Amino acid sequence: MSKVKPLRLAAMLAVLAVIGAVAAATATARTHGQTLTIWADASRVPAMQKVAGAWAASHGITVNVVQKDFGTIQNSLGTVDASTAPDVVIGASDWVGGFSANGLVVPLVLSRAVKAQFPSYSLDAMSYGTAVKRLYGLPVQLENIGLVVNTKLAKVPTTFAQLESEALAFKKKSSNNLGIAVQQGANGDAYHMYPFFSGLCGYIFGKNDVGNLDPSNIGVANAKFLKNASLIDKWNKEGLINSQVTSGTAQSAFLGKHAAFWITGPWNSATLKASGIKFQIVQLPKIVCPSVPFLGVQGLFVTKFAQQHGVGSAAVDLVTNYMAQPSAQVAVALAGGRPPANINAAKLVKDPVLAAFGKAGVGGVPLPNIPQMNSVWSELGGAWVKATRGAGAVPAKTAFRTAARNIANKIG
Amino acid sequence: MTTTAATTPAHVEPVFRPSWIARAIAFFSGTVGLVVKIVLLALLNALAVWAATVLADREKWPAFAALLVATAGIDAIYMISRNRAVPAKFLVPGLVFLAAFQIAPIVYTVDVAFTNYSTGHILTKGQAIQAIQLNSLQQPPNGAVYTLAYARDSGGRLVELLQDQTTHKTYVGTPKKLLAVPQSDFTISGGAITGAKGYTLVPQKDLFSIQGFNIPTGKGAEAIQPQGFTQAAVLEPTLRYDAKHNTFTRISNGTVFHDNGSGSFVSANGAEELEPGWKTGIGTHNFGRVVHDPLVYRPFLRVLAWTVAFAALTVFFSFAIGLFVAMALDKPGMRFLRLYRSLLVIPYAVPGFLSLLVWSGLLNDDFGVVNRSIINPIFGTTVPWLFSDPWWARVSCIMVSTWLTVPYFFLVSLGALQAIPGELVEAARVDGGGPLQIFRRVRLPLLLVAVAPLLIASFAFNFNNFNNIYLLTGGGPAANDQSIAGSTDILISYTWKLAFQAGKGNDYALASTIAILIFFIVATISAVSFWRTKALESLR
Repeated sequence: MSKVKPLRLAAMLAVLAVIGAVAAATATARTHGQTLTIWADASRVPAMQKVAGAWAASHGITVNVVQKDFGTIQNSLGTVDASTAPDVVIGASDWVGGFSANGLVVPLVLSRAVKAQFPSYSLDAMSYGTAVKRLYGLPVQLENIGLVVNTKLAKVPTTFAQLESEALAFKKKSSNNLGIAVQQGANGDAYHMYPFFSGLCGYIFGKNDVGNLDPSNIGVANAKFLKNASLIDKWNKEGLINSQVTSGTAQSAFLGKHAAFWITGPWNSATLKASGIKFQIVQLPKIVCPSVPFLGVQGLFVTKFAQQHGVGSAAVDLVTNYMAQPSAQVAVALAGGRPPANINAAKLVKDPVLAAFGKAGVGGVPLPNIPQMNSVWSELGGAWVKATRGAGAVPAKTAFRTAARNIANKIG
Repeated sequence: MTTTAATTPAHVEPVFRPSWIARAIAFFSGTVGLVVKIVLLALLNALAVWAATVLADREKWPAFAALLVATAGIDAIYMISRNRAVPAKFLVPGLVFLAAFQIAPIVYTVDVAFTNYSTGHILTKGQAIQAIQLNSLQQPPNGAVYTLAYARDSGGRLVELLQDQTTHKTYVGTPKKLLAVPQSDFTISGGAITGAKGYTLVPQKDLFSIQGFNIPTGKGAEAIQPQGFTQAAVLEPTLRYDAKHNTFTRISNGTVFHDNGSGSFVSANGAEELEPGWKTGIGTHNFGRVVHDPLVYRPFLRVLAWTVAFAALTVFFSFAIGLFVAMALDKPGMRFLRLYRSLLVIPYAVPGFLSLLVWSGLLNDDFGVVNRSIINPIFGTTVPWLFSDPWWARVSCIMVSTWLTVPYFFLVSLGALQAIPGELVEAARVDGGGPLQIFRRVRLPLLLVAVAPLLIASFAFNFNNFNNIYLLTGGGPAANDQSIAGSTDILISYTWKLAFQAGKGNDYALASTIAILIFFIVATISAVSFWRTKALESLR
């Protein structure tokens, strides 16, 4: 120690510290450069890179597409550090309320010409506001479930009674057969059960006079629905639907020809095509009210961080202008295996299965996008599980009344 | 084995050969060590300088100061050769990690518990006001949308070239006013403005550095606001912020929204709240909710009762079974003793995650092996192990956590039993004690001296055994009350649900509050238990 003078030591440390400072300065300068960061899920990263990359090249900037697990984007956007935060994210329409209530995304304005190219419900699904309703996301892809019918095993039903008798007749043929293969599982699946729910005149949230969803108006156990609820008990007794069917059992039953009817969505279109089964896709026939599915919309959002990063206008331009074009919509939507939201883009897609799923969604209900929806999923799914458990099931009236009460209490 | 000694030649002189550790110490004590030290410290300093610039950039001054002080301190400790610094040299690395991974999270948790950090309250107040203003802009009925292009006039001033998308009328906008110009002045192709007489368009690559501006339309606060590079729209604010009184006023009907002191602007009757709110300190409000709000304390007490029962029963059963098996196998000379012992340790050797997932598969109500191949063939019925009956789900949780803990207590008990002097047991036998009496009066008390602290530790561990609940039942089945806490949720999994699956999304603040309460509960139980076990030590 005594051989080396402290002064020389200090000098050495100072030199290295300066190197560190220079490195830091260059690193900071780089992050402040003109880069647009986009969060996308694995299936859509390559497509986003290509499409947004082409846009960026013409503006002389770079895009950095970061791969995120789709489900984590919603929460991560609220906790991410501003310096590494994305400027544009891919997200689902049911996150819009939470995003807006947290002030994480900025409202968008679409031109008349662009607006006309999107189904109005998809824009509605991306809009939110307690007093002023504004558009927060650009729809990119649509999805909804439909009734897939194995046309070799059953006729395509036009009425629910027909569906019921066909399904039960088929079920009777073997103890391995299912009536309608619709997935629930242990924790329930309110999304896949929604056509039955809406068919019995159930709704989740009513609307207030501004046209917004009203979390204090819960229709899970509305009078009309309760009047029809005894049908659920009947289906349970007949074995038309059963809560023990999971996504796996539903799929293998349909593919293994142990079910003539399967309720699923476009994410299984590749599986359906590969199965060699002759099938048709229709909307679930009307029960008492029209049996419409939930309409899910996924799209792009501009975050509040874009402005801070100095790319606010660029991000808005990318989302409201470039990504609304049919070619961009087709590339990103098909990467996710769904039909594009842009009507002109949808015409470019010549996929009969996706088209049929699209038709099965006519008149559907956009997924509620207010943050209170978080309280609904498990309760509503749980009510279906309790009521369709087979032997020992709870009467549907009781199950849905309890669910409605619990939802109201959770929302508080 | 006995022949190995003979292979060593007897005539070799024993040479002193320092061990490799000693040689390594000698090697690093000189200049090499000094250089290594300086390089490491310099790297640390470089890292600190980089971190300091980042912190300064984000204006986190307390963290900035702490970083500088800590770095200077570490440098001083390792550069000073005084003997006083020697203990610090060994302690500092550990203390740094203690601060980073224990103290910092605790401080953060406590900090969050006294705020309203939750969905709708994550911004700062300034950001929230900005967001409210932005969200309150509305397109007036039939408000125009324009195609936009940025250009410079002959004087180099930035202007906005606009074409109304409905009427196709053309304008030139400046920050002050909107000038109508003849349509023939503009070149328009493919829906975009590509040129204008007397103006030069800003090239695409320069658009980035352009700061667009709003053009007042003259009607109230209405303005044409650019939206991206190629579009602008007429927007009017619906709320007005009054910075002096810290209120928002709705322009259409004069409703005033006041800052309610807990992170929101609300209308006078409290019926309407502006979104978003902001994160702010709300004192002990969250703790008050645990005490006063039946929607919080009812589920909290229910979950607490089950948590205590779960932890206590798990420890009781695993200790009882582990001890029993250990006594059964505590027989020297028993055949296949090693085999038995190895088999018993297997659940301990398999990673807990794996065991839990396997168990949740085995016990699955509908498709699990237990129901399908054992219960159903024998009893002709199935047991709802996990998902529908709360009591069976609780039984399953205790069963599986016991399965995972038994090997631990088996090993511990086996060791402790062998440490009990044989003569004590012998003496008891000579005195005429029966096996049960010897167990109760001699072996168990002596065993507890060694094992009691481990029982407490195991209790504390199971009290917070998140994996067990989350992977097995996910906290379900749903309880019939008003909470997100399921029938088998323990406090820690309830906390997790509050943070990530609360009614409106996230309730980090209440989750942190309950995390703090968990700490006090566990600390109290452990302290009392340790204090009581001191009585056992007097047995020695």
